[in-house]
Amino acid sequence: MGAFLVKRLGFAVVTLWAVLTLVFVVVRIVPGDPAQVILGDQADANAIAAMRTRLGLDAPLIEQYWTFLTGAIRGDWGVSLVTGRPVIQEILVVLPWTLELTIVSMLIGIAIGVPLGVWAAINRNRMPDYVTRIASLLGLSFPPFVSAIILLILFAIMLRWFPVISAGSGSLSAWFQAMALPALNLGLIMAAYITRVARSAMLEVMQEDYVRSARAKGVPWRVVVWRHALRNALIPIITIVGLYLGILIGNSVLTEIVFNRPGLGKLIVGALNQRDYTMLQGMMVIYTLIVVLVNIATDLTYALADPRVKLS
Amino acid sequence: MKRTGSILAAMLAGTLLATPALAQKTVLTVGMQSSDAGVLDPHLNSGTPGKALLNWMFNGLVRIKPGELSPEFMEPDLAESWTSSPDGKEWTFKLRQGAQCHHGYGEFTSEDAVYSLSRAASKESSAFSSDYTAFDKVEAPDKYTVKITLKQAIPSLLGIVMNYHGGNMVCKKAAEELGKDGFAKKPVGTGPFMFSEYVPQQYAKLVANPNYFRGKPKLTEILYRFIPSDSSRDLAFQAGELDMMLGRQEQAWVDRMNALPGVKVVAMGPAEMSVLHLNTSQPPLDNLKVRQAIAHAIDRNAIWQFRGKNISRPSVSVVPSGYLGTDEKAPLLPFDLAKSKALLAEAGFPNGVTIKTINTTLPSMLSFTEATQALLKRAGITLEIQPVEHATFHQQIRQDLSQVVHFQAARFPVADVYLTQFFHSRSIVKTPTAVTNFSHCKVADAEIDAARSETDKAKQIELWKTAQQKIIAQVCAIPVNEMMQLWAYKDSLDLGYELRASLNLGPPVLETTRFTK
Repeated sequence: MGAFLVKRLGFAVVTLWAVLTLVFVVVRIVPGDPAQVILGDQADANAIAAMRTRLGLDAPLIEQYWTFLTGAIRGDWGVSLVTGRPVIQEILVVLPWTLELTIVSMLIGIAIGVPLGVWAAINRNRMPDYVTRIASLLGLSFPPFVSAIILLILFAIMLRWFPVISAGSGSLSAWFQAMALPALNLGLIMAAYITRVARSAMLEVMQEDYVRSARAKGVPWRVVVWRHALRNALIPIITIVGLYLGILIGNSVLTEIVFNRPGLGKLIVGALNQRDYTMLQGMMVIYTLIVVLVNIATDLTYALADPRVKLS
Repeated sequence: MKRTGSILAAMLAGTLLATPALAQKTVLTVGMQSSDAGVLDPHLNSGTPGKALLNWMFNGLVRIKPGELSPEFMEPDLAESWTSSPDGKEWTFKLRQGAQCHHGYGEFTSEDAVYSLSRAASKESSAFSSDYTAFDKVEAPDKYTVKITLKQAIPSLLGIVMNYHGGNMVCKKAAEELGKDGFAKKPVGTGPFMFSEYVPQQYAKLVANPNYFRGKPKLTEILYRFIPSDSSRDLAFQAGELDMMLGRQEQAWVDRMNALPGVKVVAMGPAEMSVLHLNTSQPPLDNLKVRQAIAHAIDRNAIWQFRGKNISRPSVSVVPSGYLGTDEKAPLLPFDLAKSKALLAEAGFPNGVTIKTINTTLPSMLSFTEATQALLKRAGITLEIQPVEHATFHQQIRQDLSQVVHFQAARFPVADVYLTQFFHSRSIVKTPTAVTNFSHCKVADAEIDAARSETDKAKQIELWKTAQQKIIAQVCAIPVNEMMQLWAYKDSLDLGYELRASLNLGPPVLETTRFTK
């Protein structure tokens, strides 16, 4: 286990370095000048040149790369080119918002998706199966920004149960108000994925000999399904949850924008539009770190779900 | 299970009961179309979200009467009065006594004004330094007097000492103590509202300045919310979570908002003029007849209809209407399809011509170019549009990569600014002094330069008029349409003035602004 972790963390460092280097190069290849964005339409070429110097963008690329890399190792990710505030500070302010939205959405997705998938599998080719399959297909094909607008019109405008600006905090009630609709929006999409995977994994497991044996020796149906079959169907479900967690953070961009929640997604879109190189670099470190950590956590969970899996 | 159910029920009840109490409202919540306000330094911020916000915190030596746009409405702000020498080179401002800087930074005096103007004139600390190149010296003969000496007279000295861009007055002690980066995190001015809090991606909070020299504001707080999604902003306004918001530049939006009860919609100036700049240095646009053919193919009334009758208007000249020096009856080439085709044939293109444009993907600008494309097609002119993301657009048009540049902009309302930035040879793109001359136009340099230092107002106007006529005759650019800024607010909000325009692009919130219920 220890050796496994060390090895995986070693790979993580190499992955981080590769991503950092790639991002450093890519953001500078993309057309668009941060100095121009900061100074606006009316700035003349001299003012833009002065701003580029001030931002350190006129230094040789290799020098900029060295400054960036050594800074990143020291934990200094510089300041945002646009707002002048430290990158790490800007990211840390919004990171909890994205993490909590992702986790709550994931929990909603699991809470709805797993039972629904199991229910569909044990009722294969009957009405519950058809309904579940159609519902999950709808969930998969619905763009998150459309479902977000529908949820807002229904619950915030017509019923007035929740606010449109989902960014409240400070009390449990405010937190719940701010979290409910965005988490439901993302959670339902995730539930659609999990339902389909859970259904097919369960269908496969239900054909196994040990399930037949358990039924033959008189184990109650409920125990067969939830203990014997589901536990063995967990590996593909964990895989999809792990994979989708990375996608979920990406999907949160539109949800954050429509529900007006702070978050990494909104930050990265703003940084991209404004060509905020330092901010983009910092964001990519965080994204990579999250994906790497989720992958490690997924691998560890395999061993928990199935004792036959050996981590080495 | 029962316990979980009770907790959930309690949370939902709390949610439903958490409605605001019905009291006299004193907090103004504004929705802005952005996820950030940018750097909060008035000498560096040139974006709409930042300018609108900073406008509530800062004063100039003078200001344009709230709600108006024209410099003819110039009135005292931090300065009580001012005089100028007959040659327009020496200006003396008498400051009002007792005006206080925010957060206890003391009285605003001539020392602060001198510091602020020097800061605005330095390219190290200002994005607007080029506005102050005519400055020779700025002095403080006494505590309440500011004397500005110019190298040569300029068209509007008051325009660069007013509460706009570099003319916003910062307090010296605060700026020095906080440093450049610190000041941008906690801007200190003298305006009716003071900076209180900034929460990234959520809001900036301003609180009333109890020591404001015009009196304590009636509102206690302004919550400036960043809501980049147009739909979410509309829904938040509809749900009553916003009192005022920036609208999207569409007639459909105006119609939808007007249908809501208790809502006031304002199409205000400055209008941003959509101009097609034709690159006269590249074939086939180096041929005057081709440029004339393009001009004759543009139907301004059709574009006006397309963009919305209530929110736009046809252009009148190469300078937007209403500016000091605009030739309101300029001889723009009229829409004439037959003439357009004939000119094209005369130019050696009887089978039509193809020209290329790099265009931003911003929906309102792209739809304008697409409508233009359809109009030009009728004359046999094919406009190939290459849509690129907005920051890329700004870089590529400055690299002279587009034959036709559709640029939409408003400027300080004096003809000199528009003419210099878009049509003077000094501003030609890809030169060291480049600004936004995309057409390589240089036919009116003499008139633009002469008008700038002309002290006789009538002669100055005449020179600007001649400059506009020359630019139109050479078809350096085709002015098409002017788009207004759209805002919606609750009719219970009494701004304290009639909102017709705001140079800072956001409605001024004054000490007298209040809710009537």
